[in-house]
Parts: sequence; structure tokens; C-alpha cells
Amino acid sequence: MNIFMHEMRANRKSTIIWSISLILLTILFMSMYTAFSKDAEEFINVMSNYPEPVRRAFGINLDDFFSILGFYSYPLSIITLCGAIQAMNLGTGIVSKEIREKTADFLLTKPVTRTAILTAKVLAAFFSLVITFVLFFAAAVLMANAVKTDDFSLKIFFLLSLTVLLVQLIFMAIGIMVSVIARKLKSVLAVSLPIVFAFYFVGMFFDTTEEEAKRYISPFKYFDTAYIMKHAGLEAPFLLAGAMIVILAIAASYFVYSKKDIHAV
Amino acid sequence: MNVIEIKNLTKNYGKSRGITDISFNVEEGEIFGFIGPNGAGKSTTIRTLLSLIYPTSGSAAIFGKDCIQYAPEIKKEIGYLPSEVFYYDNMKVKDLLNYSASFYKKDCSKRIKELAEIMDLDLNKKIDDLSLGNKKKVGIVQGLLHSPKLIILDEPTSGLDPLMQQKFFELLEEENKKGATILFSSHILSEVQRLCNRVAIIKEGKIVTVEKISTLKENNYKKFKVETKEPLDANYFNLDGINNLTVDGPITSFLFRGNINAVMQKIAAIDIANLWIEEPDLEEIFMHYYEKEA
Repeated sequence: MNIFMHEMRANRKSTIIWSISLILLTILFMSMYTAFSKDAEEFINVMSNYPEPVRRAFGINLDDFFSILGFYSYPLSIITLCGAIQAMNLGTGIVSKEIREKTADFLLTKPVTRTAILTAKVLAAFFSLVITFVLFFAAAVLMANAVKTDDFSLKIFFLLSLTVLLVQLIFMAIGIMVSVIARKLKSVLAVSLPIVFAFYFVGMFFDTTEEEAKRYISPFKYFDTAYIMKHAGLEAPFLLAGAMIVILAIAASYFVYSKKDIHAV
Repeated sequence: MNVIEIKNLTKNYGKSRGITDISFNVEEGEIFGFIGPNGAGKSTTIRTLLSLIYPTSGSAAIFGKDCIQYAPEIKKEIGYLPSEVFYYDNMKVKDLLNYSASFYKKDCSKRIKELAEIMDLDLNKKIDDLSLGNKKKVGIVQGLLHSPKLIILDEPTSGLDPLMQQKFFELLEEENKKGATILFSSHILSEVQRLCNRVAIIKEGKIVTVEKISTLKENNYKKFKVETKEPLDANYFNLDGINNLTVDGPITSFLFRGNINAVMQKIAAIDIANLWIEEPDLEEIFMHYYEKEA
């Protein structure tokens, strides 16, 4: 519990900053909805001139772009990207910072197992993400209610928002695995940003092709907003794939971390 | 009873040398010195004892329990001070020490205050703002606050001024009197000589010898320097046990090991102007071990 509390305290600043950033993004985009919905017809005409692949790449679906849910999907892809960076930073940081800041000797000579240390750290990262999600979701719901022109399904709105957290969990798990396997990471950002952006752009590219299987390559494409709006649910195979990545990455992290040599600085 | 038992401990780091076949015991209640130059394998041995790294082969037991298998249990009674201390920068000294104490299921607040007072450490400062020496003090308090039965120190004195070093040694001696066993690794021989009962000398990953400090000194050479009016014939001291004889004008110097009377008779038979007989310090003994093997 003490390690968990210590980690939460260590994460505090970044959690606050990321939460505020996500909330500001949400407010910024959602406040545009009022203006957009007024010019809906004109906008549809303009957008329909763009080729279909371009619209798909940006996640714009003309059928429901002007419902609040459809509109919400648009900022959501950017919020997911930001959230993924936050999660990847957290994941990559939790083990590597002990090595980088040379505090591993302190922590690992205490009477605790490495498993207990990693568990506390993973839980702290997870809770930091959940806190961010709760704050962001609260802001999103408030904004949606403030700008809505019609009533919308809160369940679908929640599911859409939840995809942010789900993608975050995947990147957190990948980050943890990377940080445990690497002997020493000089900088978290130098690792996390390229990986997140690589998946993001790969995801953009694959979405323009129609092949379902390729969606598995990028976690950003696991949760299709159009599907969620249509079915009020998540796609089971992709949910499963995400869960598998999280479980395998975390299991691998435990395995490697418990056997890892912690070298002198 | 042995507090530490190291049996054939080997650790290889890929191609570079780690430690090879290290065996020695540390008995309860002793202050055991572990000396060798930088890179000889002191830290590797210590880090294996603390299960920070895992041995390639061999094993070590602390308090009679395997140091890998029972690591969390053993560490309740170990205090460790690494050679370089780095702590979570964004914390106050007080918070860090409380965090450290929170791992041990006992109340350490009184001991923290006592130790901070002895070491003259300001608990309310941020660790960020501390000098190297003061960070070291945080390390010392951190390592001792739970009154461990075994104290492991890896080159602990770097960064401490002589006064603090003195206080630190007194503190260690006090802990030792209360029953703590101490493993003290260092490349500074005078501090080992001052504190320790026994030493293990390590060289290039192997133990060269494990001896009592007193035995090390007894079994060793005495340094003779004789000043005569006329230069001596280099063959005059033609005795067993004489080494490194040099004649430099009126000064003849050599190392001697053996029955001292034989040398004294030789010296008595000549007309001398001055005479020095010195105990070698640990430094010279140490160099002797190193040169002999080289």
C-alpha cells in the first residue's frame, strides 16, 4: 500500500495536467457543436466533395456527423491519441524511472517482493488513468448536455468515451513491458511518442483499406465509433484482442521483472 | 553463528568479468571488511546478497536463509547504504525517511530523530536541495532507522567530511555493540583498518585471502631502514626472509619476515647511525597481495 500511495503521489502532477488537457480539448471541440449544427446542411455539401477515403481517414461519417454522438467521435480520436500518450508515458515510466533516477537500490532492498512492487506500480498507473477518465468523462457529459440540440443515449456516449480508457490500458501495458525489458531507458518520451504515433498513423492508413484483419495491427482501430453508435456495444473480437495484449504484456513484465538484474549505476 | 555465508558465488556479465567462485563467511557480531580496488567485484557480491542481481552459480545465505529465495524476509533485518545515493527528488528528507520506515513493521520515528540529530541532518529540507554529503547522511539514516541486525555498506564514506565520517564510524561501532553485524566494503584501507575485525581481500573477482586484521599485520613484513656511516655491502644482510633490499648510499632498507633476533644480531654487529623499524600499514600489505599475484 505504501508503494501504491507513493506512486500515486509521484503520478499526481502528470495526472492533473493530462486530465486538464483532455478536459480542455473536450470543451474546445464540443463548444463548436452549436456552430456546426447550425451550418449542418452546407457543411455536408462541402464534406461530400471530399473523397470517401479522406473522410474515413479523419473518422468523419456524414450520416451521423451532425448528431451530437457523431460529432463527439471526431474529437474522441484526438483525445484517444493524447490519452494513449499519457498511458504510454505512465507505463514506460513506472519501472524505468527507478533505474534512471537511481532509486531502484532504495526500493529493491526493502523487504518486499518484486511482484509486490510491480503490482503496486501497475495499480497506481491504472488508477491514475481511471481518475483521468472519470474527470474527462464528467466534463464531456456536461459539455454534451450543454450544447445538445436533441437528446442522446448516455449509454452510447459512455461507451464512446470508454474507448479512450481501453486504448489507454493497452498502451500502458505495452509501455510497462517495454520499460521492464529495456536495460535502461534514457528518456520516456523518446520511447513512448514514436510508438504511439507509429500505431496512430498505421491505424489511419489501414482504416482507408477495407480489410478488417488489418485493424488488429493498431489499437487505435479496435473500437470503431460507427459500430458503437449502431450497435450500442463494443466489437467482441477486438475487445478480446485488446484484453489479450494487456494480459500478455503485463504477464511478460512480471516474468521479466522478477528475474531482472538491477545493475549498479 | 554465521550471519552471511557465501558459497562458490559466481556472476558473469556476458563477456566482462563479474565474480568467480567467491566463498567467505561473516560471523555474528563482527565488523567485516571487504576490500579491493574499484571493479574488483565488491559491489557485484553485495548486490547479489541483496538479490538486486542473481548469481550465475553458487549461493549465499543470510541469517541461515537463502538470499534469493527468502529475500523479502531477510531484508527486514538488513540496512543497506549504497556507494551512491539518489533519492526521489521531489520529496522532503522527512517524507523519504518515513517512506523508508513504512516498509518495516515497527515504529521508527524516534530512531529517525536520534539519527538525524547525530548526523546533523535537517529533516525539513527537500532532497533536491541537499549537497552530496547531506544526501549521504540521508542514506545513512535511511539504512539504520529500522535498527537492522545486518548492516551492509558499499563504500559508504565518499562525500562525507572527516568530522561526519568520524561520527558515522562511532555510530557504526555503537550499532555493532548493540549486536549488529556489519559488512563494510571499501577501497580505503585506513577506514577498514580502523573499524574491522576481519577482512576479505578481493581481486579481479576472486577472493585473495580472508584474515583477521591482527593476523594480517603479524604475519607480515617489517620494514627496516638502517643508516650507516659507510655504505654497506649489499650482501651483508644475507638472511632468509629478507626482501627488496636496496642500498642507497648510507641508507640500507629492506623488508623482513621471520625471526627478528637474527636481523637484530646482524645490525648489532655493525656501526649504525640510525635505525627505523616500521610495521607496514594495511595499504602495504594490500599492495603486497596485489603485487604477489600480478
